[in-house]
Amino acid sequence: MTAPPLGRVVATELKPSTPHQFHFWTARESPIGIGAIVRVQEAGRTVYGVVTDGFAYSDLVTPMHAVLGADGDPVAAGDEPTARAEIRLFTVAVLRQMPEEPLQPVPLGPVWLADDADVLLALRMDSYTGGERASGVPVGLYAAGGLESPVYLDCDFLLGPEAAHLNITGVSGLATKTSAVEFLLASIFQTFPRHKGSVAALCFNVKGPDLCFLDQPSALSDEDHRLYQRLGLRAEPFADVHYYAPLRPDGVNLNTLRTNEALAGNTEPLIWGLREVLDYAEVVLNRDDIDAKADAFIDFLAERVVGREYQDDMLRGRPFQVQSFADLEEFFRAIFDFMEVLGKGGEVWKTHHLATIRKVRNRLSNISTRSKGLVTDDGAANDLPWGSFADRGVYVVDVAGLDPLAQDLVFARVVSKLREHLERRDLGVEHVVVFVDELNKYAPGDGPETYVRKMLLDLSERGRYLGLVLFSAQQFRSQVQRRVVGNAGTAVYGRMDADELATPGYATLSPATKIKLATLPKGELMVRHPHFTQPIFVKFPRPPVLGGREGIERYPPSGDMPFAAAVARRLRSLDRRVSAEAVFEAIDGRREDDVRRALSATRRERPTDPLPYFVACLGRRVAGEVVLPWRGIPAVRRGEDGYGA
Amino acid sequence: MPISNLTALRRRLAVRGLTPAAGIPESRGGRTEEACIRPARLVEDVSLHCRSVGKAESWPEALAFLDGVQRMELVAYAGAAPIYVAGIAAAVRERQGDRLKTVTEDRRRLVIARPRALDAAGDALTGLATLALPEDEPPHPVRDLTQAARALDRARGQLELDVGRRFRLGSDCWLVVDGSLAESPGWAVDIRTIGVSKNHATLPFEGADLERYLRLPLGHRTSIFAPPSRSVAPVHAWALRLWAWEAKDLFHGLVRIEVAPANGVPATADLLSRWLLAERAPISTPDPRWDRLLYGIHSVEQYLRARAGALA
Ligand SMILES: Nc1ncnc2c1ncn2[C@@H]1O[C@H](COP(=O)(O)OP(=O)(O)OP(=O)(O)O)[C@@H](O)[C@H]1O
Ligand SMILES: [Mg+2]
Repeated sequence: MTAPPLGRVVATELKPSTPHQFHFWTARESPIGIGAIVRVQEAGRTVYGVVTDGFAYSDLVTPMHAVLGADGDPVAAGDEPTARAEIRLFTVAVLRQMPEEPLQPVPLGPVWLADDADVLLALRMDSYTGGERASGVPVGLYAAGGLESPVYLDCDFLLGPEAAHLNITGVSGLATKTSAVEFLLASIFQTFPRHKGSVAALCFNVKGPDLCFLDQPSALSDEDHRLYQRLGLRAEPFADVHYYAPLRPDGVNLNTLRTNEALAGNTEPLIWGLREVLDYAEVVLNRDDIDAKADAFIDFLAERVVGREYQDDMLRGRPFQVQSFADLEEFFRAIFDFMEVLGKGGEVWKTHHLATIRKVRNRLSNISTRSKGLVTDDGAANDLPWGSFADRGVYVVDVAGLDPLAQDLVFARVVSKLREHLERRDLGVEHVVVFVDELNKYAPGDGPETYVRKMLLDLSERGRYLGLVLFSAQQFRSQVQRRVVGNAGTAVYGRMDADELATPGYATLSPATKIKLATLPKGELMVRHPHFTQPIFVKFPRPPVLGGREGIERYPPSGDMPFAAAVARRLRSLDRRVSAEAVFEAIDGRREDDVRRALSATRRERPTDPLPYFVACLGRRVAGEVVLPWRGIPAVRRGEDGYGA
Repeated sequence: MPISNLTALRRRLAVRGLTPAAGIPESRGGRTEEACIRPARLVEDVSLHCRSVGKAESWPEALAFLDGVQRMELVAYAGAAPIYVAGIAAAVRERQGDRLKTVTEDRRRLVIARPRALDAAGDALTGLATLALPEDEPPHPVRDLTQAARALDRARGQLELDVGRRFRLGSDCWLVVDGSLAESPGWAVDIRTIGVSKNHATLPFEGADLERYLRLPLGHRTSIFAPPSRSVAPVHAWALRLWAWEAKDLFHGLVRIEVAPANGVPATADLLSRWLLAERAPISTPDPRWDRLLYGIHSVEQYLRARAGALA
C-alpha cells in the first residue's frame, strides 16, 4: 500500500473501462509485463486484473511524417534531437472486483503491482488457503516486477469433488510437462490436507525412462531450492514408490529401463494371467467385430471354464483345468478335434457357432502373442496391490516397452480396477491420481472409438465423485478428444507451438498472451483453474526427482541378462541375501520353463526364505508332467473365418 | 483547455441580475496582430542577401522551450458589456537526454470585463483575478471582445515572461521562446534565449528585399537585421527557411529568429541556424503549422492543453 502506484487507468470512448477489462498507462520504464497481476484502488472499490496485452506508440500521426521529418533517411531518423512523447498502454482482464456487487466498470484510479496479499485475493485463494480446512496446493510462483507470490490450486477442484483432473500441454522438451506433473504430485503429497483423507498416484510410464526414477533425488540448483522454500515445500523424492513392469518374452528379464540392480528392490514384474485378461477381453477385441454371439462365448469361458474344473466327457475323459493361455489352447483344440470328428454336422458346439469359437480363439491368441511377457502362461499373476494402496504411495506401471494393444489392456484393466475398488471404497486410499502422458495417443480427437478412449472419457466425466483423478499430458491439446481435456478443471500450458495456438481452442487468448506462450522459458507455465477468472503465469522448480535422462546415466539399465543371471536377480530382489552362485547351482540343468514356474511360485508366495522355497518348487515340479515350452498360441490360418489376425 | 466549473459562476451572475451567456470567442488562437510592414535596418549586408547556413547540426547542449496557451469563455452580459472568464498557462520544458520534461510552469484564471460590469457582478467573481477593459467608449459586445482578446494576449505574454524568468533563475541553458523576444528587455539581452516566430503579420522589408525575403531557399538565412524597436527592447533578427517552400507557399517553413544584439553576428547566426535546422524533426504534426512549429514548442503546448483537461 505504501509503494507509489505504477500506472493509472485510462478510459476513452473508444477504449472504455468495462467490468471485465480496462487499460492503464505507465512510465516508459516499468516492471509491468504480460501476465502481471495489478490492483486498482479507487473510492472504496478494489479491482484485480491480469495484464493481457501491451501497446506502445508515440504522438506520430502517420509513419509518413517520420519519413518526412527524416528526409527519407532512416539513419537521420535516429538522430532526431527530441524523442517523441510516447505511451506504454496495457490492457488488463479483470480477475476480481471487491465488492463484487454492484458489478461496475473499473474505476479510473491508480494502479499498483500486486503483492502477496493482493495475489491471494486476486485469485480468490483467500477462500481456500487459510483456516482450519485449508485446501491449497502450491502449483508455482507468480512473479512480476521483483515480487513473487505462491499460487495455490484448490484441491477440492483439483482432486474432487467440486471439479477435478488436470491437463497439461506444450511442445516436446521445452514445455516441461512431465516435470510439471512430477512437481505437482510432490506438492500434492506434501500438502494434501489431512481432513481430505488419503491420496496415492498411479503413473503410467509410456515413454522410455521418463518416470523410472521417481524415488531418486535430483541435483537441484540453489534457485530451485529457493523456489521450494518460497512455496513451503521440501525438495524430496517420493518416499514410497512401487514399480511394475511386464517381463520380456523370455519371462525373466523386466521390460523396462529401470533394470539397474541398485533399484531392483521396489521393481516388480507385472504379470497377468488368463483370468485378468479375459475380464478385459473387450478392450482388445475390437468392439465392431465382437457381436453378441462372441460375447456370449467369452462369458461362457469366463464363467464356466477359466479358473475352474470343466468336465465334458464328449471332449475328453479328464476335466479341464484352464488357468493359462496354454491350457485354453488345449481346450480349444479339444473342441475343434471333437467337431472335426463330427464332420458335416459339426457346426455348433453347445449353442456356440464354430466360426464364433474360432474368432474368439484368434482374438485371444492375438492378445497372448502381442502381450507376451505381460500375460503369463502358467496363471501365476503378480498384480498391483489392489486393496492395500498406501497413502502417499506412488505406483508406476511401466508400459513403455509394450505393444500398443498390450498397453491398452494395461490401461483398461488398471483404471477399471481402480474404479471398482474406489466404488467399493476398498482400494486402501480415498483418492488416486492417474497420470497418463501422451494422452493424444490414448484419447485421440479423431479415429475410431476405442475402449481406452471411452474409459478415459468416462474417467474424466465421473471420476471426481469417486476420487479417481486424471492428470494427463500431451503436446497438442487440439489432437485430444475435446471432452476429455474439456473436463479437466485445471489446464496447464507450457511453451506452445505457434500452429497449435492458431487452432480455435486458443481463440480467447490475447495475441500477447499467445506470444508469451510461444516463447515461454522452461519452468514457466500458464495455469487455468476454476478459481482464477483468467489464466495465470507461474514458474515452478525442477521436480525433486531424478529425470529420465539423468536417471539412465546414473543408473544405467543392466540390459537383458542371460537367463540364469536374470533369475538370480529376481530372487535377490525378494531377498538380498540370496547369492547368485547358489541360484546358478540350483537351476543348472533345469528346463527354463520349470525355472520360470518355480520363480513365479516363489514370487507369489513371498516366503521369508525365498531360495529354499524356490529350490523346493523346482524339485517338486521337475519330476511332474512334461510341459512343453510356451510358444504362444499358433494363429488359425488367415482367412479361415474372415477375422484372421 | 476548457475552463472548468463555469455553470455555478453563471448562476451566481444571474442572481445578481446579469444575463448569463455562453460562447467561446472565435479568435481562440495566439496573439492578435495587425498585418503591416515595418521596415527594418540591415546590420549585416547593404542589401538583403540569402546565405546558406550549412548542414544541420544537433544542439550541443541542453535546450529548453517556452510557450503559453490561453482560452476565453463568455459567461455573462452586464447590460451590453460582456464578461469573460479566461485561463492562461505557460511552461518551460527542458530536453534532458532526448526527453522533454516540464521544469517550470504556471497557470491563472482571470475575469475580463469593463470595471462597471465587474461591479455589477459583485461578489460572484470573488477569488478571481480581474482584468479591466477600458471604458472610454460605450459597451459594444463585438468591440469589447477584441479588447478582451488583446488584454488576454498581454496577460498570457506576461505569464510567459514570468515563467521564463523563473526558469532563468535556476538554469542558464538555451531557451527557445515561441514568438518575439522584443516583448521583454530581459530576454532581449539574454544571450541564451532565442525567439522563433512563425507569425509573419509584420514584415520587415518591402519591394525587392521582401520578395527575396519571402523566397528564401531551404537551409538559408537572410542577412541579419534589426527590427524597428516598436516595443520594449531592441533585438537582432534574421529569417530562416526550415522546409522547402517551392510548390507550397511562400511562408512554408519560414521562421524569424530573434536574438540578443550580442548574438546578431554572422557566425553566431549561422551556427544557431544550423542548430535550429536540426530541430525540424521530429515534426509536430498533426498541428497544421508543423512546418514552422518546433517539436519542443509543440510539446509545451500539448502539455499545457493536456493539463487543462483536454487536448484542444
Ligand atoms: N522447473 C524447471 N525449470 C527449468 N528447466 C526445467 C524445469 N523442469 C524441467 N526442466 C527441464 O526441461 C526439460 C524438459 O522437461 P520435460 O521432459 O518435463 O518436458 P516434456 O514437456 O515432458 O517433454 P516431452 O514432450 O518430450 O515429454 C528437461 O531437460 C528438464 O531438465
Ligand atoms: Mg514428457
